[in-house]
Amino acid sequence: MNQLIRIFLFTIVVTFGHYTLAQSSITGTVFGSDGQTIPGVTIIDQDNPSNGTVTDFDGNFTISVPADGTLSLSYIGYESKSVNVSGQTTINISMIEAVSALDEVIITGYGSQVKKSDLTGAISSIGSDDFESQPLVRIDQALQARAAGVAVTQTSGAPGAGYKIRIRGANSITGNNNPLYVVDGLFVGNINNINANDIKSIEVLKDASATAIYGNRGANGVVLITTKKGTKGKAKIEVSSFIGSSEVVQKIPVMSPSQFAEGVNLRDGVETIPQSRIDELRNGGGANWQDYFFRSAPFSNINISASGGSDDVDYYISGNSYKADATVINQDYSRLNLRANINAQLSDKLKVGVNNFISRSENNGARVNLAGGIAWDMTTPPRDADGNYNSAPLISGVGNGNPMPLLAPENNRVENISDQLISSIYADYKINENFTLNVSAGIEKIDLTNSSYESSLVNGVTGAVVRDQQGIRFQNTNRLTYKNNNTDHAVQADLVHEQQTYEMNFRTATASGFFTDSTNFQELSLASIQNTDSGNTNEKLESFLARVNYSLYNKYLFTASVRADGSSKFSEGNQWGTFPSGSIAWRVSQEDFLKDHPVISALKLRASFGVTGSQAVSPFSTIAIPGISTANNYPFTGDVASVGVAPSKKMPNPDLTWETTTQFNFGFDLGLWDSKTLLSVDFYSKKTKDILLDRVLPEFVGPSLISQNVGEVENSGVDITLNTLLYEKKDFSVSSIFNLSANKNNVVKLVDGEDTMVLGNVYYDNTFPVNPTRVEVGKPISSFRGYHFDGVYQTGSTEGTPGHAIYRDLNGDGNITSEDIGTVGDGNPDFTWGWNLNVDIKDFNINMVFEGAQGNDIYNFQRMRMMGLGSAQFHAVHADFLNSWTATNPSNTVHAGTQAARDSNQWLSSQFIEDGSYTSLRSMSITYNFKNALSDIGIEEFKVFANGENLFILTDYSGFDPVSTASGNSDVDLGIDLNTFPISRSFSVGFNLTF
Amino acid sequence: MKYTHKIVTIFISLFFVFSCSDLEEDTSGILSLDNLQTEGDLVAALTPLYKALQYTYSNPHFMRTNTYGSDDITTWWGGNKAPLRVFDQFNYGNGENADINWLDWDWVGHWRTIYYANSLIDGLKTSTAAESLVNSVEGEAKFLRAFAYFQLVREHGNMPIILDGMIPTGNEQRATVLENYKHIEADLLFAEANLAAPGSTPNVGRASSAAAKTLLADLYLTWAGWPVKDDTKYASAASKSKEVIDMNYHELLPIADLWLMENANSKESVFSVQFSSSEDQRNGHPAAFSFHMARGWSDCYPELQFFSDFPDGARKDATFVTDIPNRGFEKGQITTKNPATIPWEESERFHPMYKKYTLSEDLTVAGRSMGYRPVEIYRYAEVLLIYAEAKAASGTTDASALDALNQVKRRAAGLDPFTPDASIDASSATVIDIVDEKGWELAGEHKRWFDLIRTERLEEAASNRDPNEHVVLINQPTKANYIAPIPAEAIATSNLVQNPSGFKIQ
Repeated sequence: MNQLIRIFLFTIVVTFGHYTLAQSSITGTVFGSDGQTIPGVTIIDQDNPSNGTVTDFDGNFTISVPADGTLSLSYIGYESKSVNVSGQTTINISMIEAVSALDEVIITGYGSQVKKSDLTGAISSIGSDDFESQPLVRIDQALQARAAGVAVTQTSGAPGAGYKIRIRGANSITGNNNPLYVVDGLFVGNINNINANDIKSIEVLKDASATAIYGNRGANGVVLITTKKGTKGKAKIEVSSFIGSSEVVQKIPVMSPSQFAEGVNLRDGVETIPQSRIDELRNGGGANWQDYFFRSAPFSNINISASGGSDDVDYYISGNSYKADATVINQDYSRLNLRANINAQLSDKLKVGVNNFISRSENNGARVNLAGGIAWDMTTPPRDADGNYNSAPLISGVGNGNPMPLLAPENNRVENISDQLISSIYADYKINENFTLNVSAGIEKIDLTNSSYESSLVNGVTGAVVRDQQGIRFQNTNRLTYKNNNTDHAVQADLVHEQQTYEMNFRTATASGFFTDSTNFQELSLASIQNTDSGNTNEKLESFLARVNYSLYNKYLFTASVRADGSSKFSEGNQWGTFPSGSIAWRVSQEDFLKDHPVISALKLRASFGVTGSQAVSPFSTIAIPGISTANNYPFTGDVASVGVAPSKKMPNPDLTWETTTQFNFGFDLGLWDSKTLLSVDFYSKKTKDILLDRVLPEFVGPSLISQNVGEVENSGVDITLNTLLYEKKDFSVSSIFNLSANKNNVVKLVDGEDTMVLGNVYYDNTFPVNPTRVEVGKPISSFRGYHFDGVYQTGSTEGTPGHAIYRDLNGDGNITSEDIGTVGDGNPDFTWGWNLNVDIKDFNINMVFEGAQGNDIYNFQRMRMMGLGSAQFHAVHADFLNSWTATNPSNTVHAGTQAARDSNQWLSSQFIEDGSYTSLRSMSITYNFKNALSDIGIEEFKVFANGENLFILTDYSGFDPVSTASGNSDVDLGIDLNTFPISRSFSVGFNLTF
Repeated sequence: MKYTHKIVTIFISLFFVFSCSDLEEDTSGILSLDNLQTEGDLVAALTPLYKALQYTYSNPHFMRTNTYGSDDITTWWGGNKAPLRVFDQFNYGNGENADINWLDWDWVGHWRTIYYANSLIDGLKTSTAAESLVNSVEGEAKFLRAFAYFQLVREHGNMPIILDGMIPTGNEQRATVLENYKHIEADLLFAEANLAAPGSTPNVGRASSAAAKTLLADLYLTWAGWPVKDDTKYASAASKSKEVIDMNYHELLPIADLWLMENANSKESVFSVQFSSSEDQRNGHPAAFSFHMARGWSDCYPELQFFSDFPDGARKDATFVTDIPNRGFEKGQITTKNPATIPWEESERFHPMYKKYTLSEDLTVAGRSMGYRPVEIYRYAEVLLIYAEAKAASGTTDASALDALNQVKRRAAGLDPFTPDASIDASSATVIDIVDEKGWELAGEHKRWFDLIRTERLEEAASNRDPNEHVVLINQPTKANYIAPIPAEAIATSNLVQNPSGFKIQ
């Protein structure tokens, strides 16, 4: 109430003052929204444009205007502002950064900030306002569909599970293709635990001029994450929360238990399941396993932050708690994290700050095996009439030999805990007007505890594994920056010295033979057999970097950098590498012939070149490490085992070095109609050489592998981003960001001039040893192997038995042998796209994110398994089995269901290759903003929202969904669907409160 | 404030001076094999050689996928047994089916033994340990290397020769069978001279001089048969096996007790692969030799013809299970269903099972028929039969040779091996009689295949196959089926020539 009175009085004073006060001299300071003063702001008297001034280096100004006059402020990158003088003599004015995407300030790494219009490299930037209306938990979710050239795939629907991120394709074959993550200047191992609410902006460095400053770790692109900090002014407390519920997008159609039973008898050729039982099942009973495996899963999130600052100190502290059940039974996830970012201006020359982050996440529960589980005996319910488990099929030999699928998730225990601490400090010292010295030091500590217990109820055996792993990373970065004040010849130069160490150690305790299940992995000493294993690795990196940005007449922009990295992972003589880069940009629109053009408001051409590296090798890769584990211990007396030390399985290669990627990038940024439409297009071409591959040695050599720098891979493509303000009126505006990425990946060279290498997982090794994927020269990194399925022999066929599958005889020898396995598809999309549509209607906001991929194949082994293929004792559960060929149902897509029509080729055939293209409404939110309607009770802003994720997925793919995959983070066996964790459709409601 | 700046500047400058010293990896946590000094060092380096053997011998489909063609075993017609059927049905012989599952298990395992043995023997050259210790460990390494080569040569044909002191590149070519026999012989001659006498150490699992002599006798017997057919080697086989007999250490156990768990490492065992209950190092044979209804995997069971030809008596009862256990699995426990057993003719696989491996089964371990009994590689009965056969083949059969045969026959009848019994004893015996006796005695012990090809009787055995076998022959075997293909991956990564064109005898 006090406040209202004050505002009322103020209004009266202003109203009257308007008439009474005369021209006077006014002084003041201009601040940005971050509390920093802004130099160079143009301030004019609105009624007399010839009367103007510019703020000085510290953002101060002095101007004489009439006491009832109006100041008009303008500065590039900020929204113009008008301020009524209203008789004041001292005015502090804050300016808001402009919405025009071209004026955004982009973080480019190592302390450098550049306006988008001055950028020479290819960098995508995402600010918190881009994703604030989507209830996010993870950072990678924010990146999804929002940055061209950045493929973000949700490989698993498990809550808290990581996303796969590839920037402009995969460079390495078996090495790490994850981008480098830098949080507030500190390199971190992963971003799984970081709170999306703490993020101010995310920059993705894509071309080599942007990434080369990260030297031998920059090749896969760099993700720079900047967290929030407090702004000068009154303390701001923000509380946001949402709750919701998830379900799998779709279940897979299966037969009824009685249809399943008939299929069993058809396949076995005998009445395995008596007709009386089938008749009984027609009236109910049995099990549709998906109904037991999936559930609706609630989730909730609450986030509280407080921020603010005084003249010298600013702070941002936050806490976040997220809890979610998985849509698959008996699994859940929770995460808790805290952040404190504090900066202090100790003097006008010295500023220091600290960023602290600590988190714990827990991933609990044994996962049901969806591959074999859904295909388990449909005639046996999980429990009998007394509520006891039916551990095995009621009729032996139906389904498969595995125990009843609910036994493992309901009785085994799994607990994975991840603790992460990221802490950094810095000191920024302004030596003089031109030179600044910045020294920072940081620690990242990641502790993982993975515990699991197998209950005796599942297989009759008990066993527990507890693994503790500790990783600690130290980093020190020292940077000297020079900046001149010449606008025609603007120079900024940096010299950086950086050093890092990373140490990891682990201990694994395995135990088996527990006499009781009651204490599980919490009491390993109850096990009759106990073993331990331990290990440690260490790595060091020392680097020097020089970088120069030069802007000539604000039209021609040049950036050049060179970085030298020395890594302990390589042998002496191979430790140091140099990574140069250069880029130029021409702001054509600053030229006289384009200046003030009615349509083209901005045009910039960009070109860059650079070399980056990837130290894809693990520590100790260049030396031979003897085998020490229980796998080498032998019981000479038939009792206690004697400890063995075996020669290394790997041949040492002291010549190993990093993988090197050379990248060219050409692009342009075009702004039309006052830059309300912005088009960015980048063409790139990358070549990665010295790719580390394991050459397989014949067994008689002894060591089975040697790692060599031999592979070559090319990626080329185009990234397109189109930002448009489609409609803008006071109460109604529509804006859209569309991006499209097309990447072509091509393997140029493999080991020893070989054309192909088998590097992916063997998904069915106990049945069929041919790997479903391989890496082939002239093709993308992963391509699918299999027999070409050409339909089904029909009645009257002279070439084959009616009802049997037709496979293409590639070598024409008249027989279908493993020689006829060919390439039947690949999992790489032709292009991916994302579209973010934002509509503001009065106080409502509607935000939609569409996303899609086109042209990728999926090997649907889940369907194969559900068709009862893969092993002779499997039986079909999939509804497609009802369409099996019979004399009266001449199907050309599903062969006959009899035992005779089975062959060992079926599972690995193009019959199970499906088009994985899709279009999805990834997210849609509707927000209502109460704005200051509640300011009476001290609430500055109040928003409520409702959100839906994966509201639809349009696809021809017949599995759970075309997004989740068994391939995880691998690039050598893309697009395999078997026992994947389906992604979910979820609905949530929440609010956002600021006071 | 002025001073603060200076202090800060100094502190900040310190960071530039502080450096992570050097870029060397800290390898102090990694053990080196180059410096073998104490007995402990030597045993630690020897252990993985035996472990590699255990890896190969833990399951019949690991050790002998490629010898399923012998007439004492067949496999399930369904399930995941396709690779085993390839060999049971003779669906190979021209380089095809080299890429099937499990074919490379024994190949990988035996080469692993050879690699470890070569590394160890090289390490011993600079060892400062006592000479007698070095020699006995070298003897063990050479024994195990010889055994690995012997298996490889008999299964896949002539091998490239990779011995200690060589640095193989992968470009090596296959030697001849005869050349392989010679380096195997050299290794065994060293081993028999340097290994401890049987029973002289408590480490029952380690090779003795008797084991080396037995393997040497087996080598000579093989050398005298197909493919090298140097019949002068029968005399060597006889004298080596006689040396083992004359050690007077090994003896035959009563047949009904032989396969009990408590008779593991008895005096009948010359060399066996160890497993351990206390370390839960499991022997997969009981599950492999049990049907699914008995909580096994139905990998391996006797052929019908072999079973019906098998002479009745105590040995037949001790060899086969004819009432198949009818088991279930509930609440983590193996249960017995009603009826508790089902006659083999009506059982789910319509065959008997081998009791040799199921007698020692442990049903409490893993919901499957599991075991920890050692797998016999050589037992004394075989030594006696090698001696009898070598004497007969060299035309020098005498009383001692007949006695060796009769000891086995008497024991098979449930009698004392040393008490002559006119109803049992043979007064004369042909080579074929003795080989057949060996077939019954060592049924299912992974020996029959080698005896059939050595004596060139595989074709005959296959032609006797019972027509009621569910696994039907695809081809009648020929000499091309005597040798298994070399695994496809090894052919692809080397210059080795696939069988049959790469098969060179001498």
